[in-house]
Amino acid sequence: MFSPKIVLGLTAACLYALPAASQNLRVALSSEPTALDPHYHDLSPNNALAMHIFDSLVLQDEKQFPRPGLALSWTSDGQKTWTFKLRQGVNFSNGKPFTADDVIFSFCRTLKNETAVAGSYADITANFVSVRAPDPHTVVIETKEVDPFLPNYLAGVAMLSSSIVTHDKLTFDVPNNCGVKGAWPTIANFNDGSMAIGTGPYKLKSYVKGAHIELERNPRYWGNAEPWENVRFVPVTNAGPRLAGLLAGDYDVIENPAARDLGRIRDDQRFGHIITPSTRVIYFQLDVGRDDSPFVKAEKGGNPLKDARVRKAMLMAIDREAIIKRIMDGAAEQAHQFLPTGMSGTLPAPPVTKYDPRAAKALLAEAGYPNGFSLTLSSTNDRYINDGQVTQAVAQYLTQIGIKTEVDAMSRALYFPRRAKKEFSVAIGGWSSGTGEASSFLKQWGATPNAAKTVGGSNYGGYSDKAFDEVINKAITTMDVTQREVLLRKAGAHLIEAGVFMPLHFESTIWAYKGNLKITGRFDQYTLAMSVRPAK
Amino acid sequence: MTSLPRDGAPPLAIDTPIRRRVLLLARRRPTTRGSLLALLALALAVMLAPLLAPQNPYDLASLSVMDNRLAPGEQGMGGITYWLGTDSQGRDMLSAILHGMRTSLIVGVASTAIALAIGVAAGLVAAQFGGAIDSAIMRLVDFMLGFPSILVALVLLSAIGRGVDKVILAIVLVQWAQYARLMRAAAMVERRKEYIEAAVNFGLPTRHIMLAHLLPNSIGSVLVVATISIASAIALEATLSFLGVGVPVTQPSLGLLIANGFEFLLSGEYWIAVFPGLALVALIMSINLIGDRLRRSLNRRAL
Repeated sequence: MFSPKIVLGLTAACLYALPAASQNLRVALSSEPTALDPHYHDLSPNNALAMHIFDSLVLQDEKQFPRPGLALSWTSDGQKTWTFKLRQGVNFSNGKPFTADDVIFSFCRTLKNETAVAGSYADITANFVSVRAPDPHTVVIETKEVDPFLPNYLAGVAMLSSSIVTHDKLTFDVPNNCGVKGAWPTIANFNDGSMAIGTGPYKLKSYVKGAHIELERNPRYWGNAEPWENVRFVPVTNAGPRLAGLLAGDYDVIENPAARDLGRIRDDQRFGHIITPSTRVIYFQLDVGRDDSPFVKAEKGGNPLKDARVRKAMLMAIDREAIIKRIMDGAAEQAHQFLPTGMSGTLPAPPVTKYDPRAAKALLAEAGYPNGFSLTLSSTNDRYINDGQVTQAVAQYLTQIGIKTEVDAMSRALYFPRRAKKEFSVAIGGWSSGTGEASSFLKQWGATPNAAKTVGGSNYGGYSDKAFDEVINKAITTMDVTQREVLLRKAGAHLIEAGVFMPLHFESTIWAYKGNLKITGRFDQYTLAMSVRPAK
Repeated sequence: MTSLPRDGAPPLAIDTPIRRRVLLLARRRPTTRGSLLALLALALAVMLAPLLAPQNPYDLASLSVMDNRLAPGEQGMGGITYWLGTDSQGRDMLSAILHGMRTSLIVGVASTAIALAIGVAAGLVAAQFGGAIDSAIMRLVDFMLGFPSILVALVLLSAIGRGVDKVILAIVLVQWAQYARLMRAAAMVERRKEYIEAAVNFGLPTRHIMLAHLLPNSIGSVLVVATISIASAIALEATLSFLGVGVPVTQPSLGLLIANGFEFLLSGEYWIAVFPGLALVALIMSINLIGDRLRRSLNRRAL
């Protein structure tokens, strides 16, 4: 027999053990990060994962407002010089202190990163003329072009530890390797964990591509300690199994359950969910640059997508309301521009192209294609919410006005490299403005590619319009807020009128979780352990 | 070399013609008769699919997203009743299943026929010529059979892309080797018989011996295995399409239909996955039962 004392003791031990056991957080992701290297590819899943391990000079809160990160404050001289005051007493997870040297090294690495996709992150640092460190906790950046959004952009550039390479004195002398001796870190060095060293709230425990990512609390973190000892991310690309895993208790938090399945948890005390609007616009990008596009076939040859009337007819053919209602189950907002109305630089009343298949058909005939033409829509099937289904529905609508449309939906691992090589004619895209204002989309997707000006990095459609380039290039170098706003609206209206993108909708993000948790939903759709807290 | 039956009284005389054996068995066994009828009905439905199906699921212009995910028996906007419901794109499930079964059957039969032709030719050559040629062919066969078929097909399709023709190619590649091995064994047994020796001594050309004597007398067992292999080819195609490397999304086969429906199971929209699944089961089971019966009825002669 147990004495009451022992029973009490055991009970106490059990009670004590409970909170410890619940310090583990298991999260099912809808889209797996493609690498642990924070400078590899500017994709939301990658950036979200990087934010756990790495910090940036500037952080963004859930509404994408800039907040102090590794920099406590920043000032601009109103022209091309920015001064960042660094946070003191910050250490990397390997114990090395964080100083201005690490900032210079990290900027250099984005420019020396040969494995990066589509110039990710280098588009920000390529605008730097010099980066100096007057003292170990001050960084002065001088830019080539005036860059009013520099702090917003720097929120995306992760700070690495310069201790991962051998180096002499670090300077921002890119042609001479910045003082780094030997090879620059590659994506493999991060994926195997050896160089995944940051100042973030978590550090890497293990990474098995396709299986899981395990993080543990970083005891050296400069901020408040996280409530979770261990965090485990598991990619589960199908929405059904993701929700089933939550119901079965395999996961504590899941990303993007299908909106149609929410009925399963709506009235259940054991689970909660949150729907947050996002800045992510979903659209199709049309190849207007080539006379002979790989997936367009017209009887008389050529590329019909180059005709503005054809593009307008295609947009008119799509019933966006029906797609939101029937495919997205209402969890999306119609898009008539590239950032939700009301955000900085957007049109207050964008022109609305109404669904009108009859007029679309007439317009197509007027353009010289009364019998339509053939087209293949290329899309991911595991990146955006219902991406494959949305593409099929669009194919249906285009077919109904006589454009014989096929769908090629593939995994994002295949899709993104192929799109970067311009292998598609009409390609799905999803863009969440990293800076929370309109220039992000316009310059990245609409401008004529120009590496020196760091614009047009995602212009796979080959759209090139001098008038547009002039306005957007002026907008992104205008420091005055009101003037810039006017220019951005002008550029936005121009790109909508050109019709080289068919915007469909803005995604709403859904998170479902166990009832004993609470989550702060983010506009940028990032699923962060830092957004999850015990309910009380 | 001929073995006598061990299981007591033979149900049929050894010299009963094959055709008659099958017919007799079909008459005697209700399961065989049932599956034969089922297969005939399915084949007929598949051949007449464009006429029978209320909708052409290949024609995107005839679909409407507004009619998507209707339950079985519900009426769409155009006044059509969807007896098996609709999928997420507003595709009538009955039409999709009929057309999907067509893709499945075409892939199954075509890939088996091509694999059979290649395998039989290779096995026959190996058995006839022996020596280095035999070793070369058989080592290749061993090599092929060393890999799990699903793995070979997956890798191949990931490399060359999707499409009905490519799925057929992949299945041919994984199946021909087993026919080659069977055919070689059967032909080797046959070659040792006196009538072949006689033919050789008589000075008949090798080609004539192979095609007129060896082939018809040793192909029986291989044909029986091929019947069952149609079912496994269909299953393989369904698996590949389910995994997303098989046929393209706009040309649904049964496997792809099941894959499409899979994500709707949780929200209670069972019909998108369950009905194509039942159709697949019916198809594979009826082919298997017939193949099995065929094998038993030809047992004495073939194996």
